[in-house]
Amino acid sequence: MTHTLHRRGKPEDLHEDYVLLAMQARGVNREGCEEKMGQVWEVLSHYEADLTNFGNMTDGNSHTTSMDVLKRTTWHMAHAVFKDRETLKACLKEFKERDLGISVVISGLYEETEKICSEIGLSPHTVEHSLGVFGKTELLPEENVLEITTMCGHALVSPSLVIQMIDDINEGRRTYEEAAEELSKMCDCGIFNLYRAKKLLRKMISEA
Amino acid sequence: MKIDKEACTGCELCRPYCPVGAIQAVEHKSEIVSDIDQDACVECGVCLKADVCPADAIYETELEWPRSIRAAFSNPMVRHPSSGASGRGTMEMKTNDVTGRYRRGFAGIGIEMGRPGIGTTFRDLQTVSMSLGRLGVIFESDNPVTATMIDAKTGKFSEEVLNERVLSAIIEFKIETNRLQEVLETLREVSGKIETVFSVGIISRIGPEGSMPNVEIARKAGFSPRPNTKTNVGLGRPLIEEV
Repeated sequence: MTHTLHRRGKPEDLHEDYVLLAMQARGVNREGCEEKMGQVWEVLSHYEADLTNFGNMTDGNSHTTSMDVLKRTTWHMAHAVFKDRETLKACLKEFKERDLGISVVISGLYEETEKICSEIGLSPHTVEHSLGVFGKTELLPEENVLEITTMCGHALVSPSLVIQMIDDINEGRRTYEEAAEELSKMCDCGIFNLYRAKKLLRKMISEA
Repeated sequence: MKIDKEACTGCELCRPYCPVGAIQAVEHKSEIVSDIDQDACVECGVCLKADVCPADAIYETELEWPRSIRAAFSNPMVRHPSSGASGRGTMEMKTNDVTGRYRRGFAGIGIEMGRPGIGTTFRDLQTVSMSLGRLGVIFESDNPVTATMIDAKTGKFSEEVLNERVLSAIIEFKIETNRLQEVLETLREVSGKIETVFSVGIISRIGPEGSMPNVEIARKAGFSPRPNTKTNVGLGRPLIEEV
């Protein structure tokens, strides 16, 4: 639950961060869902070149699995991460046209996701808003670190690893690409936005 | 999670991977090696998954109750003994178009204790859940936090789990929209009584004209809903009928 809800960042950064989740409900339409999930992955595969990550909790993420494997999965949930609204819109339109009967949730800037729905004739059904973080917020790492770590909703990307990756880049041990990939490996679900992570790492280093 | 101190070379490669900073340098037979603080460790398994130890010194042990609860809430690959499902909560609004769990006139609330990345003890979890229990909220039954309570009416946990630490855990319930402000005020008050953080999400079934009264109530109560949301676009079938 909520693993794509509490992503941090300014609206200008979040314009490049959308997550699509497709799943079936236990006791409603999950039973015998395997064939439908294959079709979900077939739709997502049409946009593979523009996805910054994809996967599910059991088969892995874009580093550890492939669309071909996912098309045969029996797991009832699929994630894909988009860096631009137009590709998300095209994908969502295809889901609408295929009418698979599977629940689809999109995470991202509401002013954009609402418009996307309107442009393709969908009416948003239910929305979840984050109200932020409360309690001992002084324990939190710096905001620019949080922007990266909160892209793994299970909090498996360590703030210390972000700092280590910055050091590795600065000292020539890793490229931006390699650093973003190392961070992404910790996120089992495939919702970590590699494209955005690279940009955020670059920004952190340029502003240091 | 544990580190075989005999095998560890003290290279420190594993240390930054721990989300809660539980891997520390210790002296062992006159050598500096790495070890895992067992109180701080939430059993998420990231140190092992990172696969960076050149000596294969990191290993996991079979966890007994109540420590096993750490892995169930912290490692998404581990299934909860209560529900048989993995993850920290329920399907909440992801499938609301077919389950109808959240209807107009109600607000769904998810309080993710320990998020982002700080972790929580069940003692802090209980502080929050019991303050909500006093308001009479009905905790979501199909949720691993609720399943761990010994009294789901009051939000109380057994003494033996109170010091167990997990990466995060979600308190879930729904209430009538006209009670949302009271709940939000309680959350603000209780946030000063815990040693960790929590993230709050509110779920709204969208009204006919795109209205979301729950969000307006949150704003009036002084909360600032973030601009990025989760939106169920209503493609699930059979679509639930509104009452």
